[in-house]
Amino acid sequence: MDLVLNDEQRMIAESAAVFLAENSTSAQVREVAEERGGFDRVLWQQVCEMGWSTVALPEVAGGMGLGLMELVLLSEQMGAHLACVPFFDAVVVPTPLWRHLSESESGLAVVERLAQSSKVCVIGMTVRGALSASARVVVDGGSLVLDGQWPQVGSGAAADVFILPATLPCGSLALLEVPADSEGVSVQALATVDGTRTSANVSAAQVKLAGSAVLVNGDALHSLWAELRSFAAIALAAEQVGVADCALDMAVNYTKERVQFGKAVASFQGLKHKAAQMLVGVEMSRSAVYSAAVAADAGAVGDEFFMLAAQARSEATDAALFATRECIQLHGGVGFTWEFDPHLYFRRAQTLSQRMGTVEQWREAVAVRLLDQPEPQAETAALEAA
Amino acid sequence: MNVQEIEINEAFRAEVREWMNSHLTGRFASLKHASGLGAEGYDAQLAKEWEQELAKGGWTGIGWSAEHGGRAATLAQQVIFHEEYVSCGGPGRIGHIGETLLAPTLMHYGTPEQKARFLPGILAGKDYWAQGYSEPGAGSDLAGIRTRARIDPATGEWVIDGQKVWTSWAHESGWIFVLARCDETVVQAAPGNGARHGGMVLLLVPLHQPGVEVRPIRQITGTSEFNEVFFDGARTEGSLHLGPVGDGWKVAMYLLGCERGASTLGQQAHFRYELNLILELARKNGAARDPLLRQRLAKAALGLQTLRSHALRSSGEGTSQRVASVSKYAWSNWHRDLGELAMEVLGEQGELALSDPELRPLQQLWLVSRADTIYAGTNEIQMNLMAERALGMPR
Repeated sequence: MDLVLNDEQRMIAESAAVFLAENSTSAQVREVAEERGGFDRVLWQQVCEMGWSTVALPEVAGGMGLGLMELVLLSEQMGAHLACVPFFDAVVVPTPLWRHLSESESGLAVVERLAQSSKVCVIGMTVRGALSASARVVVDGGSLVLDGQWPQVGSGAAADVFILPATLPCGSLALLEVPADSEGVSVQALATVDGTRTSANVSAAQVKLAGSAVLVNGDALHSLWAELRSFAAIALAAEQVGVADCALDMAVNYTKERVQFGKAVASFQGLKHKAAQMLVGVEMSRSAVYSAAVAADAGAVGDEFFMLAAQARSEATDAALFATRECIQLHGGVGFTWEFDPHLYFRRAQTLSQRMGTVEQWREAVAVRLLDQPEPQAETAALEAA
Repeated sequence: MNVQEIEINEAFRAEVREWMNSHLTGRFASLKHASGLGAEGYDAQLAKEWEQELAKGGWTGIGWSAEHGGRAATLAQQVIFHEEYVSCGGPGRIGHIGETLLAPTLMHYGTPEQKARFLPGILAGKDYWAQGYSEPGAGSDLAGIRTRARIDPATGEWVIDGQKVWTSWAHESGWIFVLARCDETVVQAAPGNGARHGGMVLLLVPLHQPGVEVRPIRQITGTSEFNEVFFDGARTEGSLHLGPVGDGWKVAMYLLGCERGASTLGQQAHFRYELNLILELARKNGAARDPLLRQRLAKAALGLQTLRSHALRSSGEGTSQRVASVSKYAWSNWHRDLGELAMEVLGEQGELALSDPELRPLQQLWLVSRADTIYAGTNEIQMNLMAERALGMPR
C-alpha cells in the first residue's frame, strides 16, 4: 500500500491550503461566526466553482471521479482553516448517496439536479450520524405526506434541500428529498457553540411530496448507510487532523515568540514535551486517516471499512482534543482571550468529537467485533441508537 | 501496485508461509513466538541454529543486493516476509543486530576487505554482533562516552579501555562494535578533534579475548539478555575501524538510522500476537464484559492498526523527517500500555507468579515493555528531538 501522495493529490492539498489561507482568514472566520450565523455563502460559492464539491462524484454524474483520499485532503484543509462552509454535511456525507444514485438513470437525474449545483443539500441525520425512524410518511391520493421532526441537523440553517429519513407506510425506512422551501417545512436556526457551523431544528407538517422524492429505502438504504458512516467518519477525522495540525502550529509559533526569563518559552522542556506529544497525535492520526482513505479507494467495504473508520476516528478525535486543549495552555494567558484564535479551534474540535458517533461509541462497536460472539445485528443497532 | 505485482507478492507470501511451517517444527518448535527479551528458558544455542536454518533457506538479508548475497527483495516483500515470519511464530532474531544494524552500515562505510570478511558470516547466521554504545556515564547523552581507543605503535593494533553497558546478547556474541573516543595521539590530524562529537571511532572488536569481560545483568524480568562489557587493554586489528577515524559519531548515527524500516513491521506482527493473547484471555476470564476494559482493548487494537499505517507511511519514498520522528515514541508507549493492559485483564490472577505458558508471557510483557520507553532514546529524549528537529523549537 502506497501512502505517499501522488502529484495530483499534492496539488489538490496545496491549492486548497493556499486558497483557504487567503479566503478563510481568522478575520473572515470571526466575521462569519459573529455577524453572519456561521455560513460563508461567498466562500461556499467559490468552493463549488472550483469543483471541490464534486471531486468524488463519478464522471458520469459530472464529477471528477476521484476518491475519498481527495475528499480527505480537502477536509483536512477545511479543518485547518475553520472554513465556514458545510463541506462535511453537504459534500462529504451525501457523496456515497450520490454515488449510489448515479448507478441508475433516474438517480443520475437527481444527482445532476442536486449535487452539481451550488445548492446546499444536507441529510437529516442526528449529530451522531444515525437515521431516526420516527418521522412518518402516509399516502394521500397521488402524493406522499410527510410529518416529523429532525432535531439539530448539521448545517441545517444553510440548507436549500434536505434529505430526510422517514418511515414509509410499508414500514421501511427511506430517505426523501425535501426542498427547504416546501410548504409545511420549518427550519429553526440554532446558534452553535462553535460559531463556524450552523445547525437547525427541522420539522415537517403535512408536507406533500411526489413519489419520486423517495431516493432510497429498505435494505439498499441499510447497507448504504453502513458504508456512508464509515466513509464520512474518515473525512471527518481528516478535518480533525487539520484542526490538530493547525493548533500545533499556532502553539509552536507562539512559544517561539513569547519571551520569559530572558528567552523564548519554546526552549523550555515542559513546553517542548507538550508540543512533541501534539505532534505524535497529529502524525499518527494522519497516518490512520490516509491509510483508511487509500484502503477505501482500493475497495475496502463492510467490516474492513468499518475498522478503518474506527481507527481514523479513534486517533483523530484524541489528537484534536489534546492539541486544541494544549494549544490554549501553551498560549498562557492570551490563550484565554477572545482575541487569540486557540478557542476557535478548541470549539471546533469539541463539536467534531460528537459528530458521527463519539470515540467511545466507535470503540465499543470495535469491542463487539473483537470480544463478543458474532451478532452483527446487535452491534449495528447499538450504533443506530446513538 | 499492479495486478502482476500483487500476484508475485501473494506467491511470495505463500512461499514464506510454507517454508516457515515446514521448518519451524521438530526441535525448533520450542522457539515458537519466543521474543528473546524477557523470555524465560530461551535457548540461545537453538536460536542460533535457527538463524542458520533461516540462512540456508535464503531468508537472511533478504533486502540485501545480490552482490552481497541477498535476494534484493522489494520493500513490499520485506514487509510480507516480516509479517509472515512472526505470524507463523518465528522467534526473536538473535542475529538482528548484525543483520539489520551493522550490515547496512558496513555496506555504506566498510572497506571492501571488511565487507568481504564480515557480511558472509552475518548472512549465514554464524556471526553474532553486539552493540557497544551506552556506558554507565553515557546513556541519553551518548556523546559523553569515555571508552578510549589508542593505537599500539609496536603492533599497529587498536587498544581499547573502558566499559559498555546494556549490551544485548554480548554473552552470546563473538563480536562487538564499539564507539570509542580516540586518544589524542590518534586523531591529531582528524577533523573535529576536540569537539564534543569529534574524535570518535567505531571499532569492530572480537569479544572472545583476554582484555574483554562480559557480565550479564539480571533485569526486572528476572532474565539476563543485557550485559556489562569491560575492556581492559582489549585489542583489535589496526584496519578494523568502520568509516573514517575521528568521524565515529557520524558512522554511529548512520547505524542507528538503520533501525527504522521494514523490520519494524515484523515487530508489529509480534505485537499483534501479544494483543491476540490478551483478547483471548479477556474472552475466557470475563474481563471482556468490563466496559472500561472493552474501551481500552478496542483502543489498543485500533492503535496497533495505526502503528502499521504509520510504518507504511514512513517507509515511503521521500517521507519527511517530521513524519518518521514520531514513530519510536508512538510504538514504545503503545506497547508499554499494552503491558499494563495485560495485567489488568489478568486481574486478580495477575498477583500470582504464574507458570501457565499462555499467561506467564503476559506478565513478562508487562515487565519487558518498561524498557521500550528507555532504550533507543528515552521518551524524554524522543520528545526533545521531535520538538527541536521537527518543530524547530530552540535548544
